[in-house]
Amino acid sequence: MIKNKFSILLVLFTAFILNQTVSAQSDYDKTQNFKNRYKQLEEAVKNAASLDECNVISENIATLKEKFTGDIPLLDKSLYPDNFESSFSRIERALEIRKGDFNQIVGLRTEVGSLKDKVSEISQTNAGLLVQIKQLNIKSTKDAQTIASLQKLVSQLKANIAQRDELVRGIVDSLLEQFVKSPNTLNEAEKQAIFKKVDNGNLFFNIERTISDNIQYMKVTQITPDDLSKMKVQYKDFNKVWRQIGPKLSAVYLDKKDKSMQIANIDNMFGDWNSRIDDEMWGQINKLFREKKLAVLPFKSGDQFYNSVNSFIDDEIKNLNVKSSTESKNTFYVFTDSVYFKTIQPVWIPILIENKMMSTANKDSIEKRIGIWKQKVAPAKNNIIYIVLGAVIFILIVLLILNIRKKKVIIVQEPPKPE
Amino acid sequence: MRIMKILSGLILLAAFESCSSVVLKPADFLWPIESVLKVDNKGYIEEPRYSIIVKVKTLFFEEFADSNNFTGKEIRMIRDKNGYCYMTGKDFKNVYVFFPVEGGFKLYEKILISEDKGLSNPAFNQKSPYIELIDGKNKYLLQHKGIVR
Repeated sequence: MIKNKFSILLVLFTAFILNQTVSAQSDYDKTQNFKNRYKQLEEAVKNAASLDECNVISENIATLKEKFTGDIPLLDKSLYPDNFESSFSRIERALEIRKGDFNQIVGLRTEVGSLKDKVSEISQTNAGLLVQIKQLNIKSTKDAQTIASLQKLVSQLKANIAQRDELVRGIVDSLLEQFVKSPNTLNEAEKQAIFKKVDNGNLFFNIERTISDNIQYMKVTQITPDDLSKMKVQYKDFNKVWRQIGPKLSAVYLDKKDKSMQIANIDNMFGDWNSRIDDEMWGQINKLFREKKLAVLPFKSGDQFYNSVNSFIDDEIKNLNVKSSTESKNTFYVFTDSVYFKTIQPVWIPILIENKMMSTANKDSIEKRIGIWKQKVAPAKNNIIYIVLGAVIFILIVLLILNIRKKKVIIVQEPPKPE
Repeated sequence: MRIMKILSGLILLAAFESCSSVVLKPADFLWPIESVLKVDNKGYIEEPRYSIIVKVKTLFFEEFADSNNFTGKEIRMIRDKNGYCYMTGKDFKNVYVFFPVEGGFKLYEKILISEDKGLSNPAFNQKSPYIELIDGKNKYLLQHKGIVR
């Protein structure tokens, strides 16, 4: 019994000694321990991926604070230029800001959710409209009523596409904003926020849909140069934003193969959209020549257009002696008055130049060539005849005036008086 | 007259004396915690908080009789209330007490802690007016003149 009691006492004594040994801690180590744990919490705040995680961090901060309360005098002096309280205020403030970010993300998610609903609603309507337009287009005989309803459907589709594009742009812009906020590498939390935003907005699908609807719209409707010009502006604008976020999204989705493929597909679709607009533009310009039976070689780019028009003019000049003068003149006037100066120069060339599809130098060169062609078709000698005729008429008028004056002088002269 | 001369002489002497040794007191120089400073390849340590840079090459020579083996080693440094600086490090057998002089630190006391073995994991704690040195289980209370306990 006594032996037992002695053993217990020995254990307690050893524990006391050990406790004394353990408590012999360096102030430096204590401070370093605090600093390390504080730093870990700071990192955790930065990398928090959800509101729940923030709440756990909040508890950990409280635990750290409680654990080191006994060392406040030491920490107050050693955390220079901070002190115990200011250090905790700082980290608590950072946590609140982070929580705010997540609350904002939740808000944005709701907003994006409602946008997504709107987008799908419009997309469905558009699909229906496209079918109706196609059906009406197929109809062989189009009465006034059919044409009117076709026009109505087209304008409705146009408005819907514009509205949906704007909504999708809204989602893309909010994403871009996030990338602008974190220009360098994104941390895990920021990546998660982007994943959520992309998924909630069904972003990739909606961008694909936007592009394909725009292409479909071009296919089923008669588009004016003005429409095409607006479409090109819209493409350039949207493509510019995509060029900014696309590579960043690729980096974020580096390890997600399906998404990476979707991003690459969107890249291709943007390319397709652009070439469709360009093709439509060149197609309409080609059509202008075809309608007037002008044998201008087909073209699909600014350089090709320049070469085709020039070679047409050169051929016409060469054939001046082969073809009859009337035929040559007729071709010239159709080309210049009915096509080039009527539609191409005032309508298309500004659009082409604005969109860098043609250079001003090429435009000037074509017009210079037209000038040369004009000289050959309607030679300048005709003008000389007019000039000579004009000069003769002028001389005749002058002579007439002089003659009249001379007569007046004779009348004024008094006859000599008889003596 | 003679007494007057002596008195004015004494007054002048007192005035001169007071001008030459103005002392601002009390002052507290203590560092709340020690600084653990790495020696660079030129033998310098730097304490950014208190803006102190000092060359400790001589300290290594004094302790180990080798002034070449210092790069990357750590010096633990703390200052007491009166301004004495205590320095030691791993494998040191002594704690060195320095007092600032013009452009340097002058050794005031070399306190022997262990004759046989160097310190394995030394650390200073501020226990004003003393400095506590702990090394594993061992604890020592120091003053600039030597070990108190």
